[in-house]
Amino acid sequence: MTPPKQDKTNDVLQGTLDLLILKAVSLGPLHGYGVLLRIQQISGEELVIQQGSLYPALYRLEHQGAIASEWGESENNRRAKYYRLTKAGRARLNEETEKWRRMAGIINVILRATPEEM
Amino acid sequence: MRFFTRKTAELKSWLGAMTHRRKLEAEMEAELALHLESRTEDLMRSGLAPAEAARQARVELGPALKHKEEMRASLGLRWFDEFGADLRYAARMLRKSPGFTLTAALSLALAIGANTAIFSVAKEILYDRLGVAEPRQLRLLGWTSKGKPPVGSWWSAFNANSVGMTSECISYPVFRELAARSRQVIDLFAFKDFTQNGTVRGNPQRLDLELVTGNYYGVLGVRPQVGRTIQPSDDGAPGTGAVAVISYGLWQREFGGSPTVLGQTIQVERATLTIVGVNPRSFSGAAAVDQSPDIFAPLSMQPLVAPMGGKEPSLLSVTDNWWLEVMGRAKPGVSAEALRASLDVALASAVRGLLTVTADETIPQIVVVDGSRGLHQEYFLKAPLAVLQAMVGLVLLLSCVNVANLMLARGAQRQREMSVRLALGAARNRLLRLLLTESLLLAALGGAGGLALGYIGRNGLPALLAGTMGRQSIDIRFDWAAFAFVALLTILAGLAFGLAPAWSAARSEVSSSLKESAQTATRRRKGLSGKMLVGFQVALSTLLVVAAGLFARTLIGLNSIDPGFKTDHLLLVDLALPNRDESDGERLAMQHRIDEAIAAVPGVRSGAAMSTPYLAGMMTTYSMVTEAESADPSKANSERGVMAGDRFFETLGIPIMAGRGFGPQDTATSLKVGVINQALARERFPNENPIGKRFTLGAPGKDTQWIQVIGVCGDTSYQSLRETPPPQFFLLYAQRPQPYSTYAIRTQVKPEAITPALRKAMLKVDPAIALLNVRTQRQQIAETMSMEFVLAWLTAGFGFLALALACIGIYGLMAYSVARRTNEIGIRLALGAQRAQVRGMILRESTWITAAGLIAGVAGALALMRLVKSMLYGITPYDPVTLTGAVLLLLGVALVASWVPARRAASVQPMEALRHE
Repeated sequence: MTPPKQDKTNDVLQGTLDLLILKAVSLGPLHGYGVLLRIQQISGEELVIQQGSLYPALYRLEHQGAIASEWGESENNRRAKYYRLTKAGRARLNEETEKWRRMAGIINVILRATPEEM
Repeated sequence: MRFFTRKTAELKSWLGAMTHRRKLEAEMEAELALHLESRTEDLMRSGLAPAEAARQARVELGPALKHKEEMRASLGLRWFDEFGADLRYAARMLRKSPGFTLTAALSLALAIGANTAIFSVAKEILYDRLGVAEPRQLRLLGWTSKGKPPVGSWWSAFNANSVGMTSECISYPVFRELAARSRQVIDLFAFKDFTQNGTVRGNPQRLDLELVTGNYYGVLGVRPQVGRTIQPSDDGAPGTGAVAVISYGLWQREFGGSPTVLGQTIQVERATLTIVGVNPRSFSGAAAVDQSPDIFAPLSMQPLVAPMGGKEPSLLSVTDNWWLEVMGRAKPGVSAEALRASLDVALASAVRGLLTVTADETIPQIVVVDGSRGLHQEYFLKAPLAVLQAMVGLVLLLSCVNVANLMLARGAQRQREMSVRLALGAARNRLLRLLLTESLLLAALGGAGGLALGYIGRNGLPALLAGTMGRQSIDIRFDWAAFAFVALLTILAGLAFGLAPAWSAARSEVSSSLKESAQTATRRRKGLSGKMLVGFQVALSTLLVVAAGLFARTLIGLNSIDPGFKTDHLLLVDLALPNRDESDGERLAMQHRIDEAIAAVPGVRSGAAMSTPYLAGMMTTYSMVTEAESADPSKANSERGVMAGDRFFETLGIPIMAGRGFGPQDTATSLKVGVINQALARERFPNENPIGKRFTLGAPGKDTQWIQVIGVCGDTSYQSLRETPPPQFFLLYAQRPQPYSTYAIRTQVKPEAITPALRKAMLKVDPAIALLNVRTQRQQIAETMSMEFVLAWLTAGFGFLALALACIGIYGLMAYSVARRTNEIGIRLALGAQRAQVRGMILRESTWITAAGLIAGVAGALALMRLVKSMLYGITPYDPVTLTGAVLLLLGVALVASWVPARRAASVQPMEALRHE
């Protein structure tokens, strides 16, 4: 009776969801659904984010002080919770971006390796 | 740094979420709702029908309940939510079985309450320190002398022997020398407590007084609540410095805490003191931690506020009467040994300079002890309180074992529930947490009850011990330390009895216990640990019962001692005679009027004054030398003496063995006479007839008034029943210049009944005579034996509680075992076993468990009881009667407890039992 297995295809994304959220809100305050739309829009609709995992991630980041929230009006005149990047969040975004670039570079190098180089 | 900011943010967010929980839930709801609406609109825009768009949006988002749970988890609320749920479930489980809950919580409450009460007493009596700056730096000075000290007489406020002192008192001139000579290593100050007659705001009353040196407040570092403290300039020439600092208690009681108290006056004996200040509430004087004298005045006022009887009221210039308490604050960096050594040198030169030291006298040596608790160190209470603490600790352990046993039995019943939970996917550590929450909740119930019991009971023990401690009432503070102690005990108890059952329950196997035959499959392990717990209970009970037996036998032993005089129908009264300037003749005439007035009270058979009441823990000794020994002054030896009225022997019922007792022919002007007891006759007049022989008190000289022995009386106990009747002599009040202090009255009626008539009679003689502390001799004895009494009754109570718990434990175990074995018993009966055999089988099983516990218990008792040896009387710690009694008692209890289950087993119907499963 174990809980149903998670869909593995989004796992890479899961690890970087925090980074994507930080980036999205760094471009301007957004509400939860707006975060989802912006990430999809920037990625050219290539990335599909599991909508359910978005909110726990937002709460986690706010809990850790990387983003802050306040209630405001949405574009269609409804009360919405807007998230914005804090100072600590910006530092973290820079740090994680740096880390990601290094990691991606390393993985690229590995993937480009040919038998001759061995 | 970043880690720190992040943790701060998390804590702030957690607290915010905790405090605004309802708002948080609404916001989560709103946020998810907005998401669904926005998504639905977007989907409709892309061409879906409204209903289909809404469905699609919900599918994409997934289960909202789960998301909300994860959002809460993101905020760190999950742990708390689960705890709340566990707590609610635990409360429901406990409510469901009220019998179990009540039994367990009550036995825990009793044990925790007893621990709390004893703890708060022990804390206050043994560990609390004086309310002054840096009390740990304080030292109490005393002295010891291997030979005869060059001191005429000395006082002592506490049992100095127990810390290796002869006395802690020195004289004022010696103190001044000592302080001056030891200034480099310690700041010495001195004080003395007196109880005197006084008048505050027109109310005459007894006032507790502390006379202090001028540097007292400075060295102690105490600042006044109002006004100023006593300064060195107040403590000048004898008779000057008529100022007083009053205690916070007196300020509240008599002056309502008003600041106008400054400048008002208090009458104390012959002096009028002007109030200059009020002590802070936390300061109780240097003598005791828990009780403050009412008034503090400069030592220079002693001749007026606490005058001595006789021709010289002042003690300040006397060098050979040592009466003053000396304490000091050691200078930092001075080692204990260096301090003692330099004080020793200072004392020796002070004594040489101020007193004449003869060849056979030795100079006293300084003893320095911790002064952070003042004079009342209560050393004699350390051992009994340690015993009581150990006993209540055992009771708590026993009570935990008992609850653990009950929990194990419940755990067996709930095994199915646990298996189902495990089968449905509950994690084992969540189960463990749930079960521990249950035990902690149960412990908390017990702890709450224990806190209440401890609070109510905190003054009970000191009230019982007040007589032994020589103080009237003690109010035990119940502070955060006691509260923390209860909390700690509760958590420890909860873990102690909860951990093992929770562990075993959470470890149960899913598959085996869900099967029909699960009950038999797991019986062996459960049965063994249950048996071990019950055996442990029996062992602990044995310890407690043995201790109770030893203390009870000590009390009985002491009660059955013949003190040598009749204790029934005997009333003791302390008389406080007015302190007037009167001649010996006037005082004798008044004392004669008192004798006659008391003799005339209806119901009085006879009465006599006596200087020291018997069996009151008090002692007066005099240096005594017989005529035969007088050539050699070193033969002088201190002996216990009693000043007595002329009807003393018939009043107390002490037989005269030879010669005669006092009679009307012995007057102030006739030959000085004395009576001695047989022990003194044996010791000081060996192998001769003492009658007609003479002795004297103090050093004999040319104008010595010899006292002639006119009779020998039977031996009597003196200060305590524990000591063998000591040598004593008796002198007549009529022939001594000494005021009455205690009066013994033998009555025909109930002794207490004459008290009102007695008061009236004294009022007629002189309204200024105060009747204090009216009590019967039996009450007096009980008061001095209160320690033995308390130990005997408390341990008896604990022993009884232990027996009851053991009884419950054995009954529970055997009843459970019989219920489990119904099937087997049925088979045995069907195969031809006799019912008596079945009964015997069950009884044998319980007896084996009990016997194993008894062996462990008796071994433990043999090892531990020698620690209480000094508190016993007339028996050894290995008293065979007590041990045998305890073993028989526990075997009997085990038999009774298992009798019902055994009978139930014997009455099993084989056919029913076999059909049973």
